[in-house]
Amino acid sequence: MLKDRIEALLLKVKSPSRYIGGELNSVVKDKSKVDVRFAFCFPDSYDVGMSHLGMKILYSLKNKRKNFWCERVFAPWVDFEQLMRENDIPLYALESLDPVKEFDFIGFTIQYELCYTNILNMLDLAGLPVKAEERTDDMPIVVAGGPCVCNPEPLTDFIDLFIIGEGEEVNLELMDLYADMKKRGCSKKEFLEAASGIEGIYVPSFYDVYYNNDSTVRGVVSNNPNAPLIVRKRIIKDLDKVFYPESFVVPYCEIVHDRAVVEVLRGCIRGCRFCQAGFIYRPFREKSSDTIVKQTKCLCESTGYEEVSLSSLSTSDLSDINDTLTQVAEYTEKENVNLSLPSMRIDKFSGELMEQIQKVRKSGLTFAPEAGTQRLRDVINKNITEEEIMRACRLAFFEGSYTSVKLYFMLGLPTETDDDICGIAELAEKIVDLYYSNPNRPRGKHIKISISCATFVPKPFTPFEFEPQASEEEIKHKQKVLLDSVRSRKRINVSWHKYQVSILEAVLAKGDRRLCDTIYEAWRLGCKFDSWDELYRYDLWQKAFEKTGVDVDFYAHRARPYDEIMPWQHLDYLVSKEFLVRENQKAREGKTTPNCRENCSGCGVSKGIGGACFGKTKSQSEV
Amino acid sequence: MEKLNLRARFEKSGRAVFISHLDLMRTMQRALKRSRIPVWYTEGFNPHIYLNFPLALSLGVTGRSEYMDFSVTESADFETLRDSLNKKMPEGLRILDIFEPVYENKDVGFADYKIDFYSGVGSKEMLSILEKMLSEDKIEVDKRSKSKGMVKTDIKPHINIISAEPSGVALRVFVRLPAGLKMNINAGVFTEAFADYSKIKFTKICAERTKILCSDGRDFK
Repeated sequence: MLKDRIEALLLKVKSPSRYIGGELNSVVKDKSKVDVRFAFCFPDSYDVGMSHLGMKILYSLKNKRKNFWCERVFAPWVDFEQLMRENDIPLYALESLDPVKEFDFIGFTIQYELCYTNILNMLDLAGLPVKAEERTDDMPIVVAGGPCVCNPEPLTDFIDLFIIGEGEEVNLELMDLYADMKKRGCSKKEFLEAASGIEGIYVPSFYDVYYNNDSTVRGVVSNNPNAPLIVRKRIIKDLDKVFYPESFVVPYCEIVHDRAVVEVLRGCIRGCRFCQAGFIYRPFREKSSDTIVKQTKCLCESTGYEEVSLSSLSTSDLSDINDTLTQVAEYTEKENVNLSLPSMRIDKFSGELMEQIQKVRKSGLTFAPEAGTQRLRDVINKNITEEEIMRACRLAFFEGSYTSVKLYFMLGLPTETDDDICGIAELAEKIVDLYYSNPNRPRGKHIKISISCATFVPKPFTPFEFEPQASEEEIKHKQKVLLDSVRSRKRINVSWHKYQVSILEAVLAKGDRRLCDTIYEAWRLGCKFDSWDELYRYDLWQKAFEKTGVDVDFYAHRARPYDEIMPWQHLDYLVSKEFLVRENQKAREGKTTPNCRENCSGCGVSKGIGGACFGKTKSQSEV
Repeated sequence: MEKLNLRARFEKSGRAVFISHLDLMRTMQRALKRSRIPVWYTEGFNPHIYLNFPLALSLGVTGRSEYMDFSVTESADFETLRDSLNKKMPEGLRILDIFEPVYENKDVGFADYKIDFYSGVGSKEMLSILEKMLSEDKIEVDKRSKSKGMVKTDIKPHINIISAEPSGVALRVFVRLPAGLKMNINAGVFTEAFADYSKIKFTKICAERTKILCSDGRDFK
């Protein structure tokens, strides 16, 4: 039994309750009575992974099936990893405490590029070869899904198959297929061949990539008759009817988002040109207010959480947001549950909305103008105006008695000039002035504005996938311009993300198969938890780039022509390349594109789903 | 609103010993919420379930008879309350009984522990080393003081060994230690003192708090 050996070490590590399972609502089954065991791995710490909604959905979905058992696995923090290695404790799953090496599937959800080295580290901790070709038939099938697999190429050496798009249906299809083939004693290769016939399954070893002399991709060719030339992502047609968990595993220790979460819509109507999620999760689909209220009640009751969040890419875009909020708030207020609404758009911020948010507890106010001037906001298609920002702040200060605002911006956006940077500071100064123009402001309270700047990272499947990332010198210059243009130093606080983190993000996001060697090398040199500042080692990454002959500029800082074949071009996320090119051209001209609800811009998704994105969901759910 | 103060006696064992004190607070609040018993919320700007633990339990120590105070807004049958709560408790936490509190936090004076020491050294030898330690003039440990940082404290006068004898391969010690606001020595201080003195590398130490007592020796309740 691993349990005793694990317990003997737990008092030596930080936050030991993360490593022993037994949490409320975790699912324990009799392993002799299930056909397929799935180790669902989140390649980051428990605190981060347990906050992730997708994992909760798929965990419950799989466990609802009697013959499947899905368990949770997280990356042990460095203190426990060291003890595990010293004491020969392999990576294990939290429900059974069995080694994941014994499972049928090991599945990673990949939410951000900076967790790639953790995937390798977890496979290694499990006692498995990290490279797919070195894993034999008696070892688990290693699969991966999540937003980052829209460009899975840098991970193709390590993963047997990728799940492209939304997972609710395809995961079960894959496990059913496996259960059947396992009974018939099929080989891993036979399984992968059959799996590649399922829509949304990409088996990278069935494809060969060819390169031009200039290092760009010449083409991707399928080398197996079962593998389709183009792999199309899966989508759930009716979000209102799709499976949603009735309970969440409730952790003992505090996690990043320690609350019940109800997903209210998927996709986004906005089309902000930098935002990958806004394109890869299309089309926009929403749940009815009845469903949202029902799921809120159900989750609050089964978890005992004191906070529930209505989550999505843009919750204020819910068609009947006010009605839904009134109904949800009626319940949460009565039950002393705090209602949180992340992802609210400035232009949708209303007195009614603010009142609902404030009813139980006043949380901080955060807006994301993303750029400092109207010109640049038009370039990125953010579609909010300065008036809207000021109106929202006026409401917050004059009627909501808020005294602090957090503002998110990006530096290094395409076409950005120093004027755009100064615009950030000017906007913040105007908000400061607005605050002090309120005669009834809270006495003795000064305004506090936090400006948080991320470095823009161009991402696949966005109109900015062609764009280069700004160089370190450019970003440093921009940061200086911003700091110099802030006058109210006491009231306005400026912070930014580390450039060396953003550059790695850019390389990995837009990389190709040649980066597999780099990731392997970086991991071998000791890189892990790259998204954690205290553990990030850019010096080691630089060594890895050097050793594997990777030119960072080629991947991150090079403008890619419209006709270049992108490393991810054999994956179909329904959004057409023609549309991305069109949007990129419009960005260059500073022209905006209306949101999907106002006008269809012909991104290609409606063709993919066989009908218009809007006006369809209702009639469908009535059927 | 009616408000009735209650005290629950509970057990914390198995995997639940790895729940820290702060996390236990949250865990209990959520269990109370799930049970839907008429629990009392504080009446501030940010209402939350009121909870008070008369004596915190160290991480890793099993609790056989721990206490937690909360309030309800309508009186109910204590056994029914206990049963509804137990239906919603996570693994390792179990309410034993519920009653109206008799003593206050400040009345807590001692706690009894059962500690099993395991090591490559025989249990008889562990026992003789323990006896030797207890016959020393002083048993000094580093203790954190609020004002002076780490200071050397002699804990010998505070260690009250009830029994110590071999139990299989382990050395089993029943010990009463001061607990509460005035003087608090948790089981870890004692086991560390023994480890330091004996230089034994223990493979496992299983500590259980079996009872909490008042300063005058009566059972806390």
